[in-house]
Parts: sequence; C-alpha cells; structure tokens
Amino acid sequence: MRKRTLMLVGLMALLLGSVNAQRTLEIYITGLTEDTMTWFREVAFPAFEAEHPDVIVDILTGGWGDFDAAVAGWITTGSGPDIVYLGSEYAATFGDLLSDLDPYLADWEELSNFLPAALDVARYDGHMVGLPLLMSPRPMFFRLDISADAGAIPPLTFADSVAFVAANSAVEDNAMTKMGFMDIGGGLFDAQEFIAYIWSAGGELYNADGSSAFDSAATAEALKFMYDRRRAVQPTELTAGLPPISGYPIASGLVASGIFPMWNMPPTSDPLWEQIAIGPYPAGPNGAPLVQVFTDWLSVPAYVQDKELAAEFLKFIGSRENAITLSTVAGFTPVRTDAWSELRANPVWDAMLDAAVNYGRAFSDIRASAELRPLIVEQVSMYLSDQQSLEDTQLFLKEEYDAILEDNGYL
Amino acid sequence: MDPSVAARLHNFYWSLGTVAFIIVGSYLVGRTAQAIAGARGLGVLQRRRVFWGYALASPWLLGFVIFVLGPAVLSLYYSFTDYRLGRSLEWIGLENYRVLLGGIGAQGRRFMQAMYNSGYYALVGVPLQIATALGMALLVARPLRGMAFFRLVFYVPVILAGGPAILLAWRYMLASNGGFVNVTLKRFADAFTPFDWLYRTFIYTVESFNAFFIGVTRADPVGPLMYVLPALLGLGLCLALLAAADAGARRQVAGTAVEVLGALLVVLLVVRAVVGGSFMPHLHERLGTFWQLITLRSSLLEPGSADYLRQGFAQHAASPLWLLALVLLLCALVAFGNLSDRWRRGLLTGSAVAFGLLAVGGFLDGIRYFQAFDAVAAATGTPQHHFALFRQVAAQFPDANRVPLWLSSELWSKPSLVLITMWSSGAGMLIFLAALKGVPRSMYEAASVDGATGWQKFTRITLPMISPAMFYNVVIGLIAALQTFESVYIIQNTQTEQSLASAAYFLFVRTFRQLEIGQGAAASWILAVLIVLLTVAQFRYSRWVHYE
Repeated sequence: MRKRTLMLVGLMALLLGSVNAQRTLEIYITGLTEDTMTWFREVAFPAFEAEHPDVIVDILTGGWGDFDAAVAGWITTGSGPDIVYLGSEYAATFGDLLSDLDPYLADWEELSNFLPAALDVARYDGHMVGLPLLMSPRPMFFRLDISADAGAIPPLTFADSVAFVAANSAVEDNAMTKMGFMDIGGGLFDAQEFIAYIWSAGGELYNADGSSAFDSAATAEALKFMYDRRRAVQPTELTAGLPPISGYPIASGLVASGIFPMWNMPPTSDPLWEQIAIGPYPAGPNGAPLVQVFTDWLSVPAYVQDKELAAEFLKFIGSRENAITLSTVAGFTPVRTDAWSELRANPVWDAMLDAAVNYGRAFSDIRASAELRPLIVEQVSMYLSDQQSLEDTQLFLKEEYDAILEDNGYL
Repeated sequence: MDPSVAARLHNFYWSLGTVAFIIVGSYLVGRTAQAIAGARGLGVLQRRRVFWGYALASPWLLGFVIFVLGPAVLSLYYSFTDYRLGRSLEWIGLENYRVLLGGIGAQGRRFMQAMYNSGYYALVGVPLQIATALGMALLVARPLRGMAFFRLVFYVPVILAGGPAILLAWRYMLASNGGFVNVTLKRFADAFTPFDWLYRTFIYTVESFNAFFIGVTRADPVGPLMYVLPALLGLGLCLALLAAADAGARRQVAGTAVEVLGALLVVLLVVRAVVGGSFMPHLHERLGTFWQLITLRSSLLEPGSADYLRQGFAQHAASPLWLLALVLLLCALVAFGNLSDRWRRGLLTGSAVAFGLLAVGGFLDGIRYFQAFDAVAAATGTPQHHFALFRQVAAQFPDANRVPLWLSSELWSKPSLVLITMWSSGAGMLIFLAALKGVPRSMYEAASVDGATGWQKFTRITLPMISPAMFYNVVIGLIAALQTFESVYIIQNTQTEQSLASAAYFLFVRTFRQLEIGQGAAASWILAVLIVLLTVAQFRYSRWVHYE
C-alpha cells in the first residue's frame, strides 16, 4: 500500500515538475514552401529561443484548405496555437476573435518602417490585431519573346489588353494551343482579380453608406472586359484548354501573359526573366492601372494567455534582418521598406517593387470575404459562360452582397 | 504567476479533473444501475455484477454521451439559432430550415443546388458504381490463373481513391487537351468510324443531360415539362396494376405505391409548411392545366411575354404535387376500394390513357415553352439565358474535333467525379465476389441441364442469390454518395465548384469557412434526416432481396 502511495506521489511530482518546464510558443503557418518552413525551424526559432532561454518555439503547419476548419476548432475550444498566420482578407473575418495588440505594438519604434498599406491589412476596428510578415505584389507578367506585336507591352487599358490577348491566343482543332492570358488559378477567371478590375475601372466595392457598389458602371466595365478577354482566348465554352503544364506556366511557351504569384514564376536568377515584362492590370477609361498587393500577417488569437510573449515573437520575426532573409527564402516582398535596398540590386525585384510602389493597392477591407468569394464565383461564372445577362449578374451581386453585409452587421 | 506556467497548470488541472470525472461518473453509473437492479428484486451477487458491469462500461458510455450524443443534440439546438462563431447566439426557430428548404436567398439557392448534386451522385453514380463492381466481381470470380493478382489490382483503388496524389493523377489523366483518357478515346475514334459516332453520341448525351440538369439546379423554370415525370409515373403504375397476375399482387403494388407516395407527399407538405408556401390557391383554375395538356392543347397564356415565361406560368399552372396526389388516390382506390373487376379495369385503363396523354401533352407544351423563350429573345433582340448551356450543347451534334472537357467544365465535372468513384468500386466488388462464391454450383448445373442460357442463369440464379450483397452495396453506396465530400473538395476549381458542390461540401463551407454554425447545423440535420428516411425506405421495400 505504502509503495503504491509513494509511486502515485512520485507521478504527481513528475507531472507538477513538468509544469514548471520551459514555455512553449506554438505558431501555425499556412501555405509556405518547405524551404521557408526549414528556415523557420532551423534559423529563426533557434535565434528566438537563444534570446528567450525559457521558451521553446514550435511550429504547426497546414494548407489553406485545412485552415478554416482548424481555426474554427481552435476558436470554439479556446485552445490552439499562440500565433496564427493569416491571409490578406482575414482581418474582417476573424477580427473579433483576435487579440488587440496595440498595447504591445503601438509604441514599437520600428513600426514606422512598415509599409502603411501592409499595416492596414492587419488592422481591425482601428486596432492592430497582428503584424504583417510578407507581401506579395501580384502584377501581370508578359513573355516578350513569344508575344505578337499588338501594341505596347504592358497594355494599360481594357481595350488594349483584349487586343493583346486576342493576338496572342490560338485555337486549333477546338483546343487551345496558346493562351494570350492565364489567371492565377490556371483558368480565365479569379474572384480577387475581378475585384481588382472594379478598382482599376475607377470603382469601389462599397458605396459611402457601406452598401455594395456592384451595380456601378465600373463593375459593368470590369465584367465586360473579363468576358471579352475570355472570348479572345476561348471562343466558346466547349473549347478544350491547354495541355497540362508541368513547371512554370510562363516558361511553358504556351502562355503569353498571366497573373502568377512569385512562387509560381521561375527563380529570379533564371535567364528567362530577360524575356519577361512586369506590368499592372489594365484600366477602364475612368480608372487607373493597378497591382494588387497581398499581405500575409501573423495574428494572436484572443484565447492566448501570454500575449506579451506572442507580441515579442512578432517583433522578432518582423525585424529588418529577418524580413530580408525571409523574402529571399519564401519569394515574397518584405513588408518593411527599409529592407528593400538589398532587393533593389536584383532587377526582377526592382521591377516588382516599382510595380508595387507605382501601382500597388492592398487587397484589404474585403467585408464578409468568406461569403463574397462564392457569390462572385457563382454569379460571374454564369455571366462569363453566357448563362446570365450583365444586368442580372450585377443585380444579383448587389442584392445578395447587401444581404450578406446586413447579415454580418456591416449595414 | 507566469502566464505560460498558468496555462500549463490549467491544462494539468483539466486532465486531472477529466480522470476524476470518469472515475466518479463510472461509480455513479454503476451505483444507479445497482439501485435499479435492487428495485427489480435481483440478489446481492447479481447486483454486484450489475455494478461492476456498468461501472467498467461507463467510460465508453460517458464518452458516447459526451462526444457523440451531446454534440448531436447541441447541433440540433444550434440549427434553430442564428449562431456565427464569435458572436452571440439568437434563437430563430425554423428560420434556418425555411431558408435552406425553400431555396431562399444565396445560401438557400446554393443548398438546393448542392442537394441536387448529391442526388445526382446517388441516382447516377451509385447504379454505375454497382454495375462496375458487379462486372469486376463476375470477371475475377472466374477460376483462372493469376486471378488473385487482378483482384488485388481492382481493390487497390479503394485504398488510393481518396488520396490527393491519386486525384491529382486523375487531373492529368482527365485533362481535356492531351490527357490520357481523351487521347486514347480520340485515337480509337480516329481509327474506327463506328466508334467515332458512338463517342460523339456519348459526348452529346452527357453534355445535353448535364446542361439540362444544371439549368434545373439553377431554378430555370421548365414550364409544362414538370408534369412529364409524374405523368409517366402514373402511367407506369396503371400499366403495372393492369398487368398484375392476381388480386394479391395488385394490392401489393398499389399498397406500396400508396405508402411511398403518401410518405413523399407528407414530407413535401411538411417542407412546404416550414417554408411557408400556400397549399391550394385557385385550385379549380389550376387543375384546368391538366385538361389542356390531356387534350394536347397549349397551356401557355402569354407565350410572347418574357415575364410570363419566367414567372407567370408557375402562377397559374397546377403544382405537379397534385398529379402525385391523383396517382395516390387511384392506387388507394385499387388497393383498398371495393371495386368490381370491370370498374377497376375501366378506371385503370382510362387513367393510363389520361396519364399517357398528359405526359405527351406536357412534353409537347414544354417544347413550345422553350421555343417561346427563343421567340421572345428574337423579337426583343436580347440574348437568351433560359437553359442557355443546354440550348448551346443540344443545338448541334458535336464536331469530330470535340472532346469531353472532364474536370475543366461544369458540363463534365459531375461525370468526372462519378468516373473516379467507379474506378474505386473495389470494395463493392469484394462483397459481390463473396456472394458469388456462395451461390451453389448445383443450381447452375441444374439450369444447364434444363437448357438455360448464360443470361437466364445470370438473371434467374445469380442476381437473386446475390441480392443481399446487392442490397448492402445499394444502402452503403447511397449513404456514401449523399455524404460525398473529399473528392469534391480536392478536384473542384473556380469553374466547377458550384456544379460539384455536394450537401456535405455546402455544410463544410457554411460551418467552417463562413463560421455560420447555425445554418451549417441545420444543413447537416436535413442531410441526416434524408439519409435516415432513404435508408428506412430501402429496408422497408427490400422484398426483392432473397435470403436463403
């Protein structure tokens, strides 16, 4: 009996002893390359742990596909990682469920080195709810060596863009053999891109009263442009696409222009870049060309108890040195302008930064984004595939987005 | 105290609490069971056994209550609330069900589309999957050398099917331009002219069917075509009742029809009550539509008006539910009415003629209805969007250069998913194989002696003898089809997301992406009830299953 009691006490002591062990900081990272993960594990975390000997930094990984379910689970149970990696549009979705980091970041002197547009992405209801980590200007890329002479490259107006795409698209035997344009998903339509064209047509997503502006003339122009460009590449909905492309689409010789993230472009050291031009999205008569800028940021969920430690890590990972290294490893642009000077030496990055500076518009303030995306996909797809009129498309987009905004408390 | 240490202590206390809860809970459950046993007059020894039995089983019982029953009850409660994660919860009664079942707003419309898609996977996918499984089982059941290898090969896809890598491989194989499947089919088509015609007919049929299906799921009105299926059902039942061998068989057919149609109508009326629709507005005027169609006249009042065609027709036409009610009434009369043989035959013959004419009239008027849209568009110079995709593909037989657009077009996305499902029919094959092995050889030998052909042996011996396996595969296949999720999740893209989305995919998006727990819970309960009803119906009408 005494032996059993002693064993029980020993076990309890062991458990309680483990309680006083090192603190663990769990970080959930989504959708980054393996090289980037390795850098986090082998370089960044040990460096932070060296500065904080009582802390162990641990990484949780997942894809964007698992992301929503994972975050919903953590929030429901109030238990999960201390830091969560979020995409551009998530501040509005999760803003209520994140920690207000103003007490920890507002007085941080290095914050002034961050691009203001990037900081806006991590702001909710006037408060910092995270710190931008990486930026991805998403310009258009043009293959100069395989493009037919169809005006200036890059084309800066909707009309010129359609003409360029038409001149550089080819269909043989009812199947595409060359695409004058390919969007980020490998097709001819992307919801985020649609929003960019509304902006570049001179429009906005919201009216002054907060209601949806999908009934605007700019939305109509954006839709018409996307339709005309689609038909320039794909004469009918029954035309087969390109053969499967393995590797970078822009390097395949089958795609004359497109919108791709940098991780889907050849390394900047590749000689092919001499034949690639970087340009903004075309614009309507009343708008201006632009480049969408996506910012990934690190947030601290509201359930986290040790917010100060989490904020410490954000400051550490957001340092100038880390920003430069991370951009090289991950292929993204640093969110700190004081980290750009090294990148400027590379002509590709130089052109990317120019595009971001001259044409950049942050992909932020997208309200109820989780519900907006399926709505755009559904309605715009119907219009682009000749199943719905332009007027009906705008009407449904407007009515249903207004209902969503109202339901989500924006109206 | 350091917050991190506090968090660890918090976790430790919770772990300790959980263990304590299990011990105390188990003890209490055991004690309760013991008390009940005592009240029922059991002896000391038996009561002790009852205590230990329940106490030791309690961790699992408590686990079931906490992790299965509890969340299920909670989700039922959430389904009556407006609950978005991170916001306060509000009781809204049947509103979520009203929105979803009524197809109201964007979410209701998408839910109905998802339900239609799930129905497609069940009605098209399951029969094809079962036919494939049976075909494979018949092939590998032959006593030939190396058959064990083929059984393994046919079963491997079951293990691999859901894997992202395999689905990615399918993406390559099903690429419309240069994919293995299309290249192979095209080679055959180029080499053999009859195959080319067969191939193009296949493309035409699949595209037309799916384009029509897409139009229906998007709530494009079908006009008088909506009467064709109920009328054909009535015609089929009348003919079956006329052909019944005796009064018992006739009563059985009619009784089954009354049960099924009655249950269907009750469910539809409950749904309509939840949605808030009216039951019989202007009934006498609306039933006039049937008479017009039976006499092969047009039921269209203003075929030159686009508004009438879009909305007006549905406002004066009778609901097809009334046709189902008439069929139900007829079957009830035959099953339970005290009709003379002459009256019964007369009633059934007359009804068969009426239902046949109604089907023909509905179809012809449906064509007029579709043509009226074209006429209005031509007159006003506006583009035609009613069943636009269907009109586009049905208007022209595919040229020689046309190929299936598999995963890249909404016309082919669902057939692609069905194809991938068929590929992984190995589990069903194993069940059929075991059943085939159980069919006594003596039956085939006796049939051979009697001069039965191979087909007769298959239909009269094999199929009845393996019907329990068939029943099992149908039940499991139907449930799996209605729960289709992973494959949709992986193979969908911007172009095909809507056309592939299943009910399970809808509730995932609504719950985990849009964090609308209330509506997601309602969608899951609708799906659960549907699965239960269909499973119960299958067991209820499993008389075709032959048990030895």
